[in-house]
Amino acid sequence: MINVQNVSKTFKLNKQQKKELQTTASSINAVNGVSFQCTPGRIYSLLGPNGAGKTTTLRMIATILQTTSGEIHVCDYSVNEKPSLVRSKIGFLTGSTNLYDRLSPGEIVEYFAKLHGMEKSLYTERMDMLFTQLGIHEFSKKRIGQMSTGMKQKVSIARSMIHDPEVVIFDEPTSGLDVITANNIIELIRQCKDEGKTVIFSSHIMSEVDLLCDDLAIISKGDLVYQNTMDNFRAEFSDISLTEAFIRVVQDSKTLQNDPTL
Amino acid sequence: MKTIITVFKKEVLDTLRDRRTLMSAIVMPALLMPFLLYGMTKITSFIMEKEENKKLKIGLLEAPTDFAGLLDTAKFEIINGVTLETGRDQILADSLDAMIGFASNYGDRINTMKSGKVNMWYKSTNIKVKSRLSDIIDDYESKILDNRITELNLTKGAIDPIDLIRYDIAPKNEQIGQTVGGFLPYIFIAFCFMGCMYPALDLITGEKERGTIETLLTVPASKFNILLGKVFTIALVGLSAALMTILGLAVAVKFLPDMPEDILEALGNIIGIKFVLMLFAMLIPLSIFFAGVISAMVVRAKSFKEAQSIVTPMSFLVIIPAVIALLPGIKLDWVTVFIPIANVALASKEIVAGTIQPIHYIITVATLIILALFSVGISYRQFSKEGMIL
Repeated sequence: MINVQNVSKTFKLNKQQKKELQTTASSINAVNGVSFQCTPGRIYSLLGPNGAGKTTTLRMIATILQTTSGEIHVCDYSVNEKPSLVRSKIGFLTGSTNLYDRLSPGEIVEYFAKLHGMEKSLYTERMDMLFTQLGIHEFSKKRIGQMSTGMKQKVSIARSMIHDPEVVIFDEPTSGLDVITANNIIELIRQCKDEGKTVIFSSHIMSEVDLLCDDLAIISKGDLVYQNTMDNFRAEFSDISLTEAFIRVVQDSKTLQNDPTL
Repeated sequence: MKTIITVFKKEVLDTLRDRRTLMSAIVMPALLMPFLLYGMTKITSFIMEKEENKKLKIGLLEAPTDFAGLLDTAKFEIINGVTLETGRDQILADSLDAMIGFASNYGDRINTMKSGKVNMWYKSTNIKVKSRLSDIIDDYESKILDNRITELNLTKGAIDPIDLIRYDIAPKNEQIGQTVGGFLPYIFIAFCFMGCMYPALDLITGEKERGTIETLLTVPASKFNILLGKVFTIALVGLSAALMTILGLAVAVKFLPDMPEDILEALGNIIGIKFVLMLFAMLIPLSIFFAGVISAMVVRAKSFKEAQSIVTPMSFLVIIPAVIALLPGIKLDWVTVFIPIANVALASKEIVAGTIQPIHYIITVATLIILALFSVGISYRQFSKEGMIL
């Protein structure tokens, strides 16, 4: 269970960032008063254009970033008060295959299992199960630097799932991946749902969202501009495609955000 | 503690598989000393021997015949037709090694028991030319002097009344401490810093550049423990670099053939268990201090390149206090004992010389421990800032 209540995030800008963003403001609001809830056994999708605040929101849920205001609870633990307990409950996976090039899959997964405080007997068994399931055994002795993107992504999955997390956070998990590797991720997300885990993932690919999610939220310029179940979203925009519906929601929100009378 | 060990073991394994770090922390320091000692000694003696036996081309102006006769034709070639005007140009163009000119009244003055002027033109960049010709002129002068002593019916003591005999009673170790003892710590410190530099870039900035930091921060381990695991790895590599320098030195002393006796004796006296242990008690906190400082500096860098540009100027700051130990007259006292890096270099020098005061040594180690803790604290402060690590 993830409970996000009126969460905001403000980043202070240094000189270089001000120059890059062409602004004189000393800070920028990446997320403004966002609230939503993700329940176990369902897939929650966070949609939005680039720079909307999706990754910032997911990073706050994962305790990588601290909230400026508002509350986030993961499995009833506050991310600000009990970050370690929250981290023990979550698995975090991004589309970029961030691994250590000089280590083998076994060494990496073992490293993360130990950092999660798992006993050797437990992680050995779970590692074997994950490696069999993902087909990692055949290249488990190879170093990451010698692997293809697909192989690396499988190792990333094993690393994120080794401690059998109750909550899984996917940040644009298929971005930049080939069709086969992306399909593996989609299968994994489905499997997590079937296992009763709470799943949240960010994306801007509507076909993926259509295929997977039960609930969705659209975020634009840091504001949560739409929130509903997937079924209701389909029904509400039945006359147009989902991509068109997404674009319409974002454009409508921009019009509202830019309206000085509001 | 478990997290620190887990991170430390993983980082050591990762670092050992990094060729660049291995080269800078293990191979380079291990080879430097044997190369410096054997290679440089051999090269220097080869060059000196070559210069000593080289046939020098000499121009003589108005030289007495007895002087020209002193020049061994196997080692000197007298070039005829050289004038004061052309000689200088020929020396500058390297077609002539030197020119010796006797004053026009030289003969008269010598014959009337006065001193005669002799001029010598040479290039100081041509090693050995000056000393070889000076030796010849000194011999020539001695002969004239001997003749005068006989002619005047004097003894040598009459014109050289003081027979000064110098006795250097400084113990051998103190003499070594003054010379080699100042130079060695400079090398240990430099390699310790360089050894820390590459793993710090890889373990801190590399983690950001690869994007692995994000997943590392989602594990239920404290950032402080993760950082400590990294800092200890960086310090270990720095320490290994210093250790490899000593090992290379020991190997060079023990196994390299044809080493000059005085160098062997000097180094043999230095590399004792006491020196190594006392040095390492200082190098351990020093390497943690370096690891902490470098980590704190590179946390803000987003790429290897940026991190390198931050750390490289730091190496000058490290070298400056290390060079202090090389200066004559600078000793470990109640001021220098508190100057980091300089205190290590000065203490090493005094350990070799056997003149170190226990209280100075204890304060040096204590100062380094405090600095190490302080640098780790600063590093953690930087590492905790979300803006720094993402």
